[in-house]
Amino acid sequence: MMIFLQQAGFRLLRRPGFRFFTLIFLLFFLSGCAGRLNKASQYYYAGQSQQALDLLEKGDRFGKRNQLLFLMEKGLVFHYLGEYQESVNSLLEAARLIEQFEVTSLSRQAGSLVTNEWLTRYKGEYSERLWAHSYLMMSYLLLGQYDDALVEAKQALASLDKQPEALTTDYFTRGLIALCFANLAEDNDAYLVYRKLADDSLNPALVAADIVRHASRLGMADEVEKYQPFLPRRLSEGGAELVLFVANGRIPEKRPGNVFFPPSIRFAFPYYSNTETPPVRVEILPYQWSSLPVLSSDLGDVARSALEARKMRIVTKEALRVATKEAISQSVGNKNDAAAEAIIRAALFLLEEPDTRSWQILPGRLTLLRIPLPPGQHQLQVRLSELGQIDQIIELPEVQLRQGQRVFYSVRL
Amino acid sequence: MQIFSWMIKVFFVGLLMLLAAGCTVTTREVGSDEKVIYDEGYHFSDKKAIVDAMVTSLLSKHPLLRTTDRPVLIIYGIANRTSEHISTSAMTDDMRQALLTSGRVRFVNKIQRENIERENSYQYAGNVAAETRIQKARQIGAKYMLTGTLRSMEKKQPRQFRLKKKTLMYYSLNMELTDIQTGLIEWADSAEVVREASKPFMGW
Repeated sequence: MMIFLQQAGFRLLRRPGFRFFTLIFLLFFLSGCAGRLNKASQYYYAGQSQQALDLLEKGDRFGKRNQLLFLMEKGLVFHYLGEYQESVNSLLEAARLIEQFEVTSLSRQAGSLVTNEWLTRYKGEYSERLWAHSYLMMSYLLLGQYDDALVEAKQALASLDKQPEALTTDYFTRGLIALCFANLAEDNDAYLVYRKLADDSLNPALVAADIVRHASRLGMADEVEKYQPFLPRRLSEGGAELVLFVANGRIPEKRPGNVFFPPSIRFAFPYYSNTETPPVRVEILPYQWSSLPVLSSDLGDVARSALEARKMRIVTKEALRVATKEAISQSVGNKNDAAAEAIIRAALFLLEEPDTRSWQILPGRLTLLRIPLPPGQHQLQVRLSELGQIDQIIELPEVQLRQGQRVFYSVRL
Repeated sequence: MQIFSWMIKVFFVGLLMLLAAGCTVTTREVGSDEKVIYDEGYHFSDKKAIVDAMVTSLLSKHPLLRTTDRPVLIIYGIANRTSEHISTSAMTDDMRQALLTSGRVRFVNKIQRENIERENSYQYAGNVAAETRIQKARQIGAKYMLTGTLRSMEKKQPRQFRLKKKTLMYYSLNMELTDIQTGLIEWADSAEVVREASKPFMGW
């Protein structure tokens, strides 16, 4: 009986039709798994955050290939629901997973050479890995756990150091890192981050007030003198600070790109569309208080640079995959008839799908808004307006500020 | 031919058994003194070594060396300035326990201050018999404040063609005992842990 089944099995495997159907099944099986993530994103943008969370809690249908995305999406939904501790739990797990991905899995890489990138575990773009730390910093600051926010700031700095050119325009995260240092009176570290930001942003006025403050504490008279002329004309005097993390828009979608060569060669690659998220206009009410210059990042812009930095790797792997698939097709053609080769070529062609997985619930832009205030009781309103959108007025809860205290809020338009 | 087929079967059965053995869940007891280290990061055995070193130093040096009046201390915590989420309160808890066990010092319970206040108010709210109420303004003020900072430095091997990546990790805990009345630092010491670990670039 056993021998009969074995023989029947081998006969089945030898049939090109069966292989074709297996490959097609694999294609649907692999690409269909991102369905829950897409659906969760749709729920979130339709204002149904709880439904999005319920779906994200279920995780991957098969395996753990998209585990990182489930954790990051969940962390973000929790953050904007104001459940910061839950957000921290999810994003810390995501950060641990990213660390594990430093070891490349040979089995998955080998498997992806004859199928596509969807077979591998999603490791996150360089930018997404950085933003996991950005959201952890924000959540920790909102929870008042400043030591932990500083830990995340250091990890974000390590991420930035790995890809300095690709991530250089993420001024929001860099400003946030400096803020975490400044919040714990780590003047030297804060000064270094602000100083580099001034050099890279080509506009020293953005961080001149901070550089002057930290440089004077460190006794660096020459630096104080250098940045004094860049100080904002209207700078509120205050020993305390109100800090707002403002998110608006939606990160551009990662799309599939294809280049075809005869007879059946297909180069598939992902790319981010060129959409931009306009900056948000901010007014503080009552008008007597003004904010420091805002630090803002277009996340789409940073994501595009990060993907560009990975381009060589994508092209190399794609070339290797194309060569492997061509070798398989020719081998099938040599051993069988032309029809079998054509079927295999068609199946491998269809299997060539670019990996368009991405962190979808991210906003299009993040803005760091800081309002210096004198100690005492404050009742403020913030009027935020996007280009072509109706103004949104956010009534902040009444706060009692002590000298040197910072109060944090996170809002998404 | 039959022998060859039989050998293949044995090989596959052996491989399956090996895989099954690798997949089983195993547990073992680890002694608190045992040094178990998986990577270059901070481990519980580091905490024990650091705490022991600090407590020994604190009790064997001025000002606690020759005290007979069991001075009162308050712990203001250890600031975590590393790049890892390390519970520094676990360190101060262990230090407090070891110092209390020595019988040479006493501690103000800072964490329970709010609860003490609440209990105080409850007792004076009219529900507790006057003769059993605690007396107000009888708490003991701390003479010394114990504080510290845990720092870390990480150095990674530069990028080059190799199969493993080495990381060097340096941890240092600096602690101070400050006389609250004079503001003078009466004792300070540090403990260090330096560790190198290597991680493969590739795995199965």
